[in-house]
Amino acid sequence: MKRREFFKTAAVTAGAAALGTTAAEAGVTHQPIDNRKVGNVAFPEKRPLITYSDRPPLLETPREVFTCALTPNDQFFVRWHMPDIPTYIDTDKFTINIKGLVKKELKISLKELKEDYEQVEVAAVLQCGGNSRSAFTPTPGGIQWGSGAMGCAQWKGVRLRDILDRAGLKKGAEWLAVQGREKAAYYETPNFIRELHLDELDDHVIIAYQMNGEDLPYLNGFPVRLIVPGVYSDSWIKMISEITVTDKYQKLFFMDHAYVVPDNECECETPEKLFPKTKPIWRMNVKSIIGYPENGAKLTLKSQAVVRGVAFDGGAGIREVQISLDGGKTWDKAILDSGKLGRYAYRTFRYGFKPKKLGKLQIMAKAINKLGEEQPLAKDIKWNHGGYKYNGIDVVTVEVV
Amino acid sequence: MKVMKKVLLTALIAATPMMAQVKEKIEVPYIAFPIKMGKGFDVVQANCLMCHSFGYIINQGRQSKKFWEGKVNKMIVHFKAPITDKDKKVIVNYLFKHYGNGKEQ
Ligand code: HEC
Repeated sequence: MKRREFFKTAAVTAGAAALGTTAAEAGVTHQPIDNRKVGNVAFPEKRPLITYSDRPPLLETPREVFTCALTPNDQFFVRWHMPDIPTYIDTDKFTINIKGLVKKELKISLKELKEDYEQVEVAAVLQCGGNSRSAFTPTPGGIQWGSGAMGCAQWKGVRLRDILDRAGLKKGAEWLAVQGREKAAYYETPNFIRELHLDELDDHVIIAYQMNGEDLPYLNGFPVRLIVPGVYSDSWIKMISEITVTDKYQKLFFMDHAYVVPDNECECETPEKLFPKTKPIWRMNVKSIIGYPENGAKLTLKSQAVVRGVAFDGGAGIREVQISLDGGKTWDKAILDSGKLGRYAYRTFRYGFKPKKLGKLQIMAKAINKLGEEQPLAKDIKWNHGGYKYNGIDVVTVEVV
Repeated sequence: MKVMKKVLLTALIAATPMMAQVKEKIEVPYIAFPIKMGKGFDVVQANCLMCHSFGYIINQGRQSKKFWEGKVNKMIVHFKAPITDKDKKVIVNYLFKHYGNGKEQ
């Protein structure tokens, strides 16, 4: 791969961070790390991906995959929090338990889920709130992801609303606590549970058992996971075991401490002065990634070249993607796909041009959504201590030869 | 057209044995992360592998002493890692020596 040559001089041991060391204490933002190679070991049902951890598995999708509207299952990123993940699911015995403030507790088998409820599909982007976290300096807490903690798939399953309707909500029901089967290794470590307010449930929120026409890959939450289109992935609980309906919010670690941003207008703060009030991350902001060409690629002078990539937002839909080849002075419209996958999915874009000058060339991509919100330059994004919601304009530097 | 067919076929063959694993118990491979050896490593090994791999440490890149101290504190305070004060010192020194950026702060 060409980009490997380009980064010959950079330290590229598995997952080593090359940036993030020249900590200007003020809090600055730059392009995320983009020089990591896929590992040489493949995980079950996966091709070799950028590997940060085996226990729990943390796998990132390489940039070149972000040219297709649907991310292949075997290249889809993987993110667990706890080391204790069941390695076997008996699909005949598996049930999703619905309990708490319901008129009738349910234990739904996979067969019931597939046969007794209306089956629905939605194409939606799954993105970690900490995707691109390595863009922030000083280094915020958490995994230092490049830009590949995201993917888009066609999900099939059953509306969570339909399931709750069948269970029947009791008076006072207001919150849902969704729990998966991953377990902490130490009994006092908080478990990963996500709380959703019932008002946040629209018809697009489903319990999915299929991804791109196949069973969910084991590492993406087999046999069922929650799909919350437009929302960051910490809410998309994997390998669901139970859903408890409650009347109050429980203040759990992974809701109230991890996966939060400053509760102010800019959702920002400085390392010396953290903002005292926080709120859980929720709807995704507008973002795009160039899948081709990659950093360090060689393009030929005066020959046709095509920039390709994906753009998405929290569900308003993408209006436009613009490309700049002159450092952001002028922008030109890229061609978008038909958008038939819907407003929660990737819109792929392409932009053809002929490089006019030898040497280094910067390609920038900027998405604008239907609300008129557009991606800021990396340097204009303000720091936050969790390194969440980075959506800077993607920049790829190639060489024209 | 011929070429296309061939590519598709190989892709299918490659995918089949991987898919089959779900029917059985899956096996997550062990990765030997290139963790540095040195003074205090035994203490790090004893305290830091319970909940996650060494990959988590390597992923952070080179950092200040304050950063590593903060990280170990986070493990103790938020994730309830049972680490003694004595071990904490050894761990922070090890992390700073091998994954440090030379800066105290
Ligand atoms: C009791 C369990 C436990 C122990 C023991 C533990 N950790 Fe962690 N650690 C966690 C959890 C939980 C996370 C967050 C997991 C995630 O987000 O994937 C984490 C995350 C991390 C991270 C990622 C950065 C971050 O801010 O989340 C680093 C680095 C880390 N641990 C280092 C260490 C070191 C060094 C030790 C040994 C001193 C250690 N851990 C021991 C539970 C533990």
